[in-house]
Amino acid sequence: MIGLVAALGLVGPAIAQPPGKSTLVLAQLMQELSQVKSARGRFVERKHLAMLNAPLESSGTLVYAAPGRLEKHMLSPREESLILDGETLLIDNKDTGQRRSFPLPEHPVVWAFVESIRSTLTGDLPTLQRFYEVSLEGDAGAWRLRLKPRDARMRQAAREIRVGGSGTWVNLIEVIEAGGDRSVTVITREAG
Amino acid sequence: MTPAARVALAAWLAGMVACAAIISRTQFSTDLSAFLPRSPSPVQQVLVEQLRDGAVSRLTLIAVEGESPDRLAQISTRLAASLRASPSFAAVNNGQEAGFEKDRDLVWRARYLLSPAINAERFSVAGLRASLEELLLQLASPAGVFVQRVSAADPGGELVRLLDEFAPRARPRLHGGVWFSGDGSRALLVAQTRAAASDVDGQQRSLGRIQEEFASAAAGTEARLLTTGPGVFSVISRERIRTDAWRLSLIATVLIATMLIALYRSVRVLGLGLLPVASGALAGVAAVSLGFGSVHGITLAFGVTLIGEAVDYAIYLFTQNAPGAAAEATFGRIWPTLRLGLLTSVCGFSAMLFSGFAGLAQLGLFSIAGLIAAAAVTRWVLPALLPRGFAVTAVALFAPKAMALVRAAPRLRKPMLGLLAVAFAFLLVRPEPLWSGSLTSVSPISPREQALDQQLRRDVGAPDVRYLVVVHAPDEQAALRAAEEAALALRDAVAKGWLQGFDSPAAYLPSEATQRARQAALPAAETLRQNLQAAQRGLPFRANAFDPFVRDVSAAAAMPLLERASLQGTSLALRLDSLLVKRQSGWAAMLPLRGVSDAGAIAGRIAEPSNAILLDLRQEFDELYRGYLREAVLNSLLGAGAILALLCAALRSPRRVFDVLAPLAAAAVGTCALLALSGQQLSIFHLVGLVLVVAVGSNYSLFFDREAPSSQDRGRVVVSLLFASVTTVIGFGLLAFSSVPALQAIGSTVGIGAAMALVFSAIMGRPQQTEEAYARAS
Repeated sequence: MIGLVAALGLVGPAIAQPPGKSTLVLAQLMQELSQVKSARGRFVERKHLAMLNAPLESSGTLVYAAPGRLEKHMLSPREESLILDGETLLIDNKDTGQRRSFPLPEHPVVWAFVESIRSTLTGDLPTLQRFYEVSLEGDAGAWRLRLKPRDARMRQAAREIRVGGSGTWVNLIEVIEAGGDRSVTVITREAG
Repeated sequence: MTPAARVALAAWLAGMVACAAIISRTQFSTDLSAFLPRSPSPVQQVLVEQLRDGAVSRLTLIAVEGESPDRLAQISTRLAASLRASPSFAAVNNGQEAGFEKDRDLVWRARYLLSPAINAERFSVAGLRASLEELLLQLASPAGVFVQRVSAADPGGELVRLLDEFAPRARPRLHGGVWFSGDGSRALLVAQTRAAASDVDGQQRSLGRIQEEFASAAAGTEARLLTTGPGVFSVISRERIRTDAWRLSLIATVLIATMLIALYRSVRVLGLGLLPVASGALAGVAAVSLGFGSVHGITLAFGVTLIGEAVDYAIYLFTQNAPGAAAEATFGRIWPTLRLGLLTSVCGFSAMLFSGFAGLAQLGLFSIAGLIAAAAVTRWVLPALLPRGFAVTAVALFAPKAMALVRAAPRLRKPMLGLLAVAFAFLLVRPEPLWSGSLTSVSPISPREQALDQQLRRDVGAPDVRYLVVVHAPDEQAALRAAEEAALALRDAVAKGWLQGFDSPAAYLPSEATQRARQAALPAAETLRQNLQAAQRGLPFRANAFDPFVRDVSAAAAMPLLERASLQGTSLALRLDSLLVKRQSGWAAMLPLRGVSDAGAIAGRIAEPSNAILLDLRQEFDELYRGYLREAVLNSLLGAGAILALLCAALRSPRRVFDVLAPLAAAAVGTCALLALSGQQLSIFHLVGLVLVVAVGSNYSLFFDREAPSSQDRGRVVVSLLFASVTTVIGFGLLAFSSVPALQAIGSTVGIGAAMALVFSAIMGRPQQTEEAYARAS
């Protein structure tokens, strides 16, 4: 399940206020995140899987548009897009020409994953808390959200999801799976 | 009582006892079978069986509406839970995941028997290498989430491939975890009853169960329940036929009895008047029971129509009985005419006997037997029982006015002919077809209920299958093998772009031969391990990463083959049941097609390797109905020809034959025009109604045509026709208020037609000397 969340890693423009040492309040962070209307970035994702003896790397671009659209375009090792819009997840494989769409209500675990990042980006605290116990560490310059799944089925898939950022820029997504598998996605602002 | 009368009475009593005995052992059916063809083509036979007993016929669609979506979702959840616990239902689905997990478990366990990708090549070093390289790409991809957890045991991705293939093409949207209609106004459930659609009692119990459980699940809310499906239709039509038949016969009997008692002023004579009707009904039911083995409810409902005609015989006798005269003497005058009228009716109805439409054939036999029995009772039993010298005194009251009208009637000849010409022209030039071309016009289900059914089907995303490939085989395994063969041809057709896809029973339950072939392709554990090792070289997988795969492949090679029972409890079982069916002899496999763009090419492609047939359901059903209609029209024409021949033989005068038939033809044209004007599209049942108009109306025109011996006698004849036509219009007119389309059609046709036949007979009849004499005498 790592790939999906990492897929949705995302970015916002530079924060309005200068980074400070003041303790950050969750509600305030979410409020600021909700101001971001669109963002673009590049991602590099590393999956550490038990069945592999080396991490698996993929990279591509990410596009976010408020309120609920997220696109992850993987460019390497092959082209594949994942588009989240409203309650539908679309996976578009350009190699095979296969397009598959997943209604999120039919896939509760996938839905929970998707919301860990989307609700963070939209600053939608109630939805985030519907799926996770949320705690916040750090300050505005370097914060980290720790998300612990509420649903038992979801806990079987992921023990914890960590979303890190600076200001309103999400720069790190880390998924720790129940089986010990792990994925780390680093997001940087797109050059130019 | 004369000895001859005693013999007649004894024969009648014996006959009635025999009829009662037959009826007591008769089976009454109320399913839709009367609306299906009796001797369908082999292809239609499959459809008919499916409509009657197939898995699809056991589906009941349930919708709950009238509350907020959250409430509806709660009600749906509660209702589904309680219905699942009921023994009446084999399966209940409302979109909750419960069913899906069972599907997934089965597919996971049996993936190496089910997957069409399994062959020896796939487990070679090269095959495994290709699988692993693809897996690596998938793991890295955003879609990796869907394969990651199972890839150690399923590196080839059989699970995802199968789930993709088995996923329904269209699914209702979800809210609160349950199915909803697209607009979110209705929560949807699909229940499969254990009872077949033709088991109406079982269906009624299931429906009652749904209503009960709904009442408790929705207690205290405003929610409403909607149900539809073949089983629901059977129950509705039985209830409707039952209540309509009872209610309308009761009202008709009361109205006619009231009228007759006012005329006869004798309870005994009233009772005698109803005797032919009752005897006719008994004889009719007994005859149908003997001829068809069972009697359909709709046939009984037509008992009402018999009242309309059979009661006339007694009316003719009683009303035309001259004061003080013996009934035998009256019969001396009127029997030849009555007999000719009876034979005319029998000719008309025998046309229906040969209908392939079971309902019509039964109705034809019922009417013929009923009318003959009613006429015989009137002729031989009633005279013995009629009080001597009985006469209807009311005749004197009505005769002068009736005779005045009859004398004046011919003056309307020109306006009437003008109107008829207009009506005829109207029927010819109007753009809409006069006859309905669709099978739904004979369905006992109202258009509103049909619309609800279609709506709910769309909501649930039930595929609207038009093209179906059907293969027949002597046993289940042969049917599955034939389906696999057809699927091979169809895959080729998909590749050529003739269609988008198809469903096959062998996808859910491969034939034993195919399952064995797949097992044989699975390598031994040691070989697989070695091949894996070679295939993994240079890839970043850990050495023992695929141990679960090796273990599962070994287990699959030794697992028992899948059989029908293995699918129990999954949604795949339901699909298999609807696609692989046991028939009266042998089995049939059905492969519904999607997105067909070149049906002709597909039909050619599948015909070569097997005996598969491509069915166009829409065309088949329309063909079925057009066949009925063609046949009904042909039979009616044959009936009309028989009537013509009969009259020619009996009357021996072309002029008189014309005089008798012209008013009837005019009545038929006038009736069609009126029905068309009121916006009705005519169905087979209207045609039956027209046959009845000719049958009943021939009595009128024959009596009008007959030269009466005296002016008093002519007066009595005219009054008896008036009474007889009033009872007919009451009997049939009431049917026009029925909610059963068949009864409504026949009722309105005969109600209008009988009245027209009488009026036209009066207008077109030749003025008789006796009428002039009557005028002079009064």
